[in-house]
Amino acid sequence: MTRRILAIGGLWAVLLIILAIQAPDFFAPANLRDMAVTNAPALVVAIGMTLVILSGEIDVSVGSQFAVLSVTAGILAKSGLPLPAVAALTALAGALLGGTNGLLVTGLGIPSIVATLAAMAFWREFLRWTTQGAWIQGLPSTFQWMGLTQAQGEIAIVSSAVLLFAVVAWTMSNLQLGRAVYAVGSRHESARLAGIPVSGITFGVFALMGTFTALAAFLDSVRFSQVQPSAGMGLELKAISAVVIGGTSITGGKGSLWGTLMGVVVLAAIAPALTFLGVNAFWEKAIQGTIILAAVVLERSASKGGPHAR
Amino acid sequence: MLVENRAGGERALFLLILLEIAIFAYTGPNFLSAANAFEVVRLGAELGLIALALTPVIVTGGIDLSVGSMMGFCAVAFGYLWRDAHLPIAAAAGCTLLAGILGGALNALAITRFNAPPLIVTLATYSLFRGMAEGLTRGVDNFSKFPPDFLYLGQGYIGGVVPAQAPVFAGFVLFYWLLLHRTTRGRAFRAIGFASEGARWAGIPVNRRLALAYTLSGFTAAVASLIYVAHLGQARADAGTGFELLAITAVVLGGADILGGRGSIWGTMLGLAAIVVLQNGLRVSAFPAELAGILTSAILVVAIAAGRRTKRTAHVTVPQENEEDDMKNSQLAVLSAVIIAGSVIVAASNWWLVQSVTGKTPAVPFAAPSGPTAATKAPHRPTIAIMPKAKGDPYFVSCRLGAEKAAQELGIDLIWDGPTDLDPAKQNEVVEAWITRGVDAIAVAVVNAPGISTVLRKARAKGIKVLTWDADALEDARDYFVNQATPQGIGDTLADEANRILKGKGDFAIITGALTAANQNEWIKFIKARTAAKYPGLKLLTIRPSDDDRNRAFSEAQTLMKVYPKMQLLMAISAPAVPGASEAVKQSGRDDVKVTGLSLPNMCKPYVEAGVASSVVLWNTLDLGYLVVNASKQAVEGTLKPGVTSIDGGRLGKINIEGTQVVLGKPLVFTKANIGQYDF
Repeated sequence: MTRRILAIGGLWAVLLIILAIQAPDFFAPANLRDMAVTNAPALVVAIGMTLVILSGEIDVSVGSQFAVLSVTAGILAKSGLPLPAVAALTALAGALLGGTNGLLVTGLGIPSIVATLAAMAFWREFLRWTTQGAWIQGLPSTFQWMGLTQAQGEIAIVSSAVLLFAVVAWTMSNLQLGRAVYAVGSRHESARLAGIPVSGITFGVFALMGTFTALAAFLDSVRFSQVQPSAGMGLELKAISAVVIGGTSITGGKGSLWGTLMGVVVLAAIAPALTFLGVNAFWEKAIQGTIILAAVVLERSASKGGPHAR
Repeated sequence: MLVENRAGGERALFLLILLEIAIFAYTGPNFLSAANAFEVVRLGAELGLIALALTPVIVTGGIDLSVGSMMGFCAVAFGYLWRDAHLPIAAAAGCTLLAGILGGALNALAITRFNAPPLIVTLATYSLFRGMAEGLTRGVDNFSKFPPDFLYLGQGYIGGVVPAQAPVFAGFVLFYWLLLHRTTRGRAFRAIGFASEGARWAGIPVNRRLALAYTLSGFTAAVASLIYVAHLGQARADAGTGFELLAITAVVLGGADILGGRGSIWGTMLGLAAIVVLQNGLRVSAFPAELAGILTSAILVVAIAAGRRTKRTAHVTVPQENEEDDMKNSQLAVLSAVIIAGSVIVAASNWWLVQSVTGKTPAVPFAAPSGPTAATKAPHRPTIAIMPKAKGDPYFVSCRLGAEKAAQELGIDLIWDGPTDLDPAKQNEVVEAWITRGVDAIAVAVVNAPGISTVLRKARAKGIKVLTWDADALEDARDYFVNQATPQGIGDTLADEANRILKGKGDFAIITGALTAANQNEWIKFIKARTAAKYPGLKLLTIRPSDDDRNRAFSEAQTLMKVYPKMQLLMAISAPAVPGASEAVKQSGRDDVKVTGLSLPNMCKPYVEAGVASSVVLWNTLDLGYLVVNASKQAVEGTLKPGVTSIDGGRLGKINIEGTQVVLGKPLVFTKANIGQYDF
């Protein structure tokens, strides 16, 4: 894990040095602020994804959930409810969506990649079918920035994400509950014999993932005055990539939220950095893939070959 | 015991396919015909090859997410080798297969040599291969005009009946069946999937076997890409998008354990059949395309859950667990019921609220006429089938409203369906289904002209009137083209707007949809040509993608304003990108940057009225939808025929016909002054 962080940190440092020489404007406070606001929702999703992956599972349905929950938030706001109630109900809806995934995994014993793959297709198509792509327009004027000024709203969005990060990071390393997630991800059977309610933890992690996705959808939606139902395309890949770049083992049990934070920062910076450097957009995906591959290979190249596992 | 279970699962799957066939035979006219059966085989071949490639990989407990992207890369490499490197077609195909093997070997190398998890390695190459395809073509370039001998592989019929790709596909099925079920290598895959460490101790060369599985996967994806290119007649960077997920679904539905150790070719073929028959049947029955995804995922969950249940009861023999399990099970059952009920409530209320909020009617699930009732209606109501480029796109949603209005007024049955995302291959499949169903007229907004033309010609040969709208097919493949505005007209208007806003001098940047979107690339071409020829004071700084996502357009616009502080105009040429860019300009508080572009008036109204967006260019989409239905009806009834110079456009008045083009008129320019008059 440390090797990967070193490797990524190295790549990252090179990018920063190039940027500092070629395009120092990248570090202008306004740019950093905009990047922080734009990526705060992605961080919230990545926090949830870290827990899911630490517990040895995966959730590829977050992008679709994000879209459903954005629309939910928009509709609730449009119906005239006060914003705190909108946020709470959206979070509840998210917990239900996530809980459904959790039940498919723990109750019915479906491997999480299959269960969430099905959920991903289901919710995306469901939303297309019901909304037919129509945007939610004509929201109350207090929706954007939650009725605050733009500057206050931006601070509120970023600080919510950071606060959530701090709480979860502290819980994961200091509370029994956090250790239990690691234990479940390391080895189900041992965790069960140690008296940890494996199914309960797994279920809880999925429900939490849904809740976090709801929070992210809410934080993302209030940056705008309209809601688009096609939101969150590819969000699952972004979140999983961030977690993996951050050194969390995809097989569970190993990793940390700090790594994820770094992963989110790296991924958030790539697209703007390439624009600042004047690199042609056509190569962006290739560069992103190379970075992930390089991260994995660099980290593994010297480590002792563990068992072949996913 | 395992074998018994597997057979049980396969029997259930087989029954499911029979059930699908029984239902669609009733709901879909001509669903149960030999021609349609062969069509299903043709449509299944490319996906089937990918599913075959994934079966051994999944049996070893691995996964390969890069296969779809690999198809895109191979398609581009093939086109490049043939057209630009002037290799003969066979040599180009050979090199493409080699590229597939190398790509697979790259995955294999990272997985075996560096012991990296397959999920992550192939996630990385998923981006890498697609990115290389986009980079090589700069997103824009595509390759067509392949020789007919090659196209035969994807479009021809052996003896006039059997699709040409069927024997190739059958060969691969046989090969994979032998490999997985009749060789020691197949056994090795299974052993690795059950326990790779155990397999190593048992003397199986684990790394070499894994390398074989992944390299074969790359090779088979290359074969699939060749067939895909021959099928569509065009090689583009977006070939095979999304194939990996459908293929994984087919394999898992077929009873393979995603965790490894279990899986069979026979099962994969059944899983594939269940998916392909479902898709085809829904289309022939004119049910909405979104149902395919919803039903497939539901079937997947039920099938896996059922399989898991039987397997678990068969395996769990530890006695003291049973009681505890029973109790837990009953609690879980209650909890499951509550949560699932909750989700259903969320879903249903969402649906209901969306309906009440949008106040529109398009979401009626089964609005399309079902076969039998349509047939009994007197005397002859023409059935007109209209396809947008992508169903969820707000632009096409508003076209649909116009089309539905026209259908009511003119007394015709309207089928409105198409892919849910930009996918040339799926457009072909929908047209095939309509031919099978037997409609009076087909009108398509074409994503890929050479790709769809073959199947449109087939429709014409069957006596169906074929029109195109929004974007044209090849001229000999359709009767009429309803032309809302030519790409040149749009490009010119946008360039003129840029000139007007910048007053003849200044820098601007373009935010496009996806980098591979053909429409946008055409417009950009004409925008560049016009500015070069007429407006030397304008400078195009850069082109950035938004992937038709409002939020991405927002971020891109934010970055562009900082990178190019002197930029004065953002031209967004994808519907969600205009509000995205406008919001970015608004939030930055800069009033020296303006936005223009191509979008729908309703979603841009707040920004145009606030003066952030100077103008939005578009034609009246409601009128376009209306005119498509009207022209289709007149083509069926014979009032629109060669030699006619104008038709009665109903509420649109007289509509001019130029040659085989039905002309709607010039694009509209929405500004602060007039945007309030439009509602779409």
